[in-house]
Amino acid sequence: MMISSTLTRRGVVAGMAALGLARPAWPGTPVGLQLSWLHSVQFAGSYIAQDRGWWRESDLDVRLMQGGPNAPVEPPVVAGTALVGISAADYTASAVAQGADFRIIGVAMQKNPFVIASLPANPVRSPADLAGKRIGMAIANTPVLRALCSLNAVDFDAIRIVPTQYSAQPLIAGEVDCLLCWETDLPVAMAVNGVECLTMLMADHGYAVHSQTYIATRDSLSARRKELLALMQGEIRGWNDYRADTDAAARLTLRMFPDAGLDEETQKLQAARQVPLMFSDLTEAQGFGAWDEASVSANIETLAHLGYKVTTDLWDRSILDEIHAR
Amino acid sequence: MTPRPGLIGAILLLIGWQALAMELSLGLILAGPLEILRWLFEHSGLVARALGRTASNAAAGFLLGNFAAIFCAAIAVLWPRLQDLVLGLALAGFCLPLIAIGPILRVLMGPGEGPQIVLAALAVHFTTLAALLIGLRAVPAVWLDLVHSYGRGRFSELWHLRARAALPYLFAGLQIAAPAAFLGAMVGEFTGAERGMGVLTIRYMRALDVPALWSVALVAATAAMLAHAAIGALARKLLREDPPLLLAPPRVPAARSSLLGPVILAIAVIGLWAAAIRLAGLSPFFAKGPAEVAAALFHDPALRDGLMRALGQSAGLAAAGYLAGLAGGAGLAVLVTLRPGAAGFVLPLALALRAVPIVTTGPLIVLLLGRNALGTVSLVAIMIFFPSFIACLHGLRQAPGQILDLFRVHAAGPLAQMLHVRLAAMLPAFFAAARMGVPAAILAVTVVEWLVTGRGLGSLMALAASTSDYRMLWSAVALVTVIAMLCHAGVAAIERRVLGVYAPEQMRP
Repeated sequence: MMISSTLTRRGVVAGMAALGLARPAWPGTPVGLQLSWLHSVQFAGSYIAQDRGWWRESDLDVRLMQGGPNAPVEPPVVAGTALVGISAADYTASAVAQGADFRIIGVAMQKNPFVIASLPANPVRSPADLAGKRIGMAIANTPVLRALCSLNAVDFDAIRIVPTQYSAQPLIAGEVDCLLCWETDLPVAMAVNGVECLTMLMADHGYAVHSQTYIATRDSLSARRKELLALMQGEIRGWNDYRADTDAAARLTLRMFPDAGLDEETQKLQAARQVPLMFSDLTEAQGFGAWDEASVSANIETLAHLGYKVTTDLWDRSILDEIHAR
Repeated sequence: MTPRPGLIGAILLLIGWQALAMELSLGLILAGPLEILRWLFEHSGLVARALGRTASNAAAGFLLGNFAAIFCAAIAVLWPRLQDLVLGLALAGFCLPLIAIGPILRVLMGPGEGPQIVLAALAVHFTTLAALLIGLRAVPAVWLDLVHSYGRGRFSELWHLRARAALPYLFAGLQIAAPAAFLGAMVGEFTGAERGMGVLTIRYMRALDVPALWSVALVAATAAMLAHAAIGALARKLLREDPPLLLAPPRVPAARSSLLGPVILAIAVIGLWAAAIRLAGLSPFFAKGPAEVAAALFHDPALRDGLMRALGQSAGLAAAGYLAGLAGGAGLAVLVTLRPGAAGFVLPLALALRAVPIVTTGPLIVLLLGRNALGTVSLVAIMIFFPSFIACLHGLRQAPGQILDLFRVHAAGPLAQMLHVRLAAMLPAFFAAARMGVPAAILAVTVVEWLVTGRGLGSLMALAASTSDYRMLWSAVALVTVIAMLCHAGVAAIERRVLGVYAPEQMRP
């Protein structure tokens, strides 16, 4: 009886897809979208576009390529395995400095998700509160903290960095006073474990780095423009639907990736918490993924604090403008 | 029927574990057996699918790596002049840092299971080849003379004599390879795999899901141990005698006093590296050849200083853990031999724990011991401890019976036997473990640095990959590989001097 109850059509299709047997029945152009991390609601807008067949409608067969802790985004985009990658302005700037010819063609996270998380008994509400605190963070993020300090005239040397890599445990155990992490991961993990923490969004204190940016090579912008337009059109539609019902987006994520080890409550909370980062007055006026000149110059300034020299050429609005002009 | 002491010990261990986990302050670090059982029950489908995927990739890599090892061993026996080169290339492959070549393989092979399978294959190739080459030589010279007197050549010799003699050694190699393949597949999953035990580990580490993390670690460890045990059982069935526990790998090429061998090997490695990049048509953005790496190392002081600083951080921890693990392994083996009653309990436990994949347990051990130097050193030591303990124990038992009888006749106690006979008999095994431990120590220290402490070479390599600093990444790969091979050669040189005095029979070509 087990077998007949599990042999639904979707189950069979999913099973065949898992075995790599299913080939798309539609004659779409295959393109890859390289995600920056493991499957989660962080990319749910793309899942909605995939699930509702919006890419298929425009003859696009999109392969969502999962990222991971040891899976850099930029090389597959350079190699052409992926048409578009989900990067961030600092990583893109770094790759461009190493010779990659990237353009940012869309910005999913208007506000950078980096926060300083602390417990209510010993709060960090503004950068000035950091003085004298022990902060748990990945050593790799030292430039991020340094940039925040110089943007807010805080003495960097008055902060004690404790290398903790990416874990909330040292904050809960009292080994550190605060954590440098993303608004949407460790604070969510703590909340699900019953620990409420305060978060100070670095973007509210001058740390302007576009995150979850869509990148493509300049070659693709001229040679594969049609596919880029169709891909971004699907993304825009997907993320607008995501915003309308984040719980449904979380459920879809769990349904599409049953093997990712995701927890529904965590995903719902994360989905809700990333909305204020992705949607703003600017996207209200100009649509999902857009940016303006002021935010670009703020990015250029913050990137300079991080050690990257970029110009406005790094951003290319032609794809978004063409979609919105339709 | 009285219950066995091992059973009572296991039950006490479980109760103690549960009590410790129920201590509130440890609740965010340690999950007890009851929580683990409940979690596994609730997530049985998820874990089964993840395990299936990781195990099938590990199995594919296991087959690939071992077939390649058998092929290379056949070449080395048929054309003995090539042996040094074949073994040297295999050693170079074994010394490559898994963390750094993962992303490179992902770029080369695209989405799918490719990197997982290749990393699993790389993790097993050298150990099996090393075991096979000893086995293929374990043939009495008179038998070879017999084959030659019939006018048959090296191929008949290989087919009729050497292959059969090598079987027990092959199985011993395969037994070590099974858990290694599992670990390789898990590390490969960090490069963007859709599902598997490695993916779940990363997920639960971030989510602070302690019961899930311990459950996944336990299942992965059990799977690796079962594979280890299954091959042991298969070998006992097929061979009707125990496979030799210990592998005494043959001398490495660098062991020759002539400089020609290492020079030929270096030329071969550099040639293969440059040719692979050119033939695969890789983008110069991420594929850096030997010339670029040399230029980076010699003409870019900033890159070199960063690399050297990271190397300095890692080297001390790796060396301390390596020496502690070796000393601990040899020391416990001596103690267990002096008190034989303990061996029955300790040996199966050590054999099993040797198979536990470091990727899942590493973060847990550091969570328990702290994110300081002690945690990292302990983890490296644990990684070295089990293989050297097993090897040394086996070596201590190789002491010639007649000599021990002579000691007993003269009423010399176990301590005198240990000092005068057994320790010398242990040396070949000890040094074999010491040589194999070099890449293991580097793997352990880089994995802990990358996943937990964020310092040293492990962190540098991961950071270089994420910020597109491919010159740094390839330079780190080259430097770590060269250092691992030099350390391996250094241990082999000490081994040669010591064995030349204490175990000259091991020095036969």
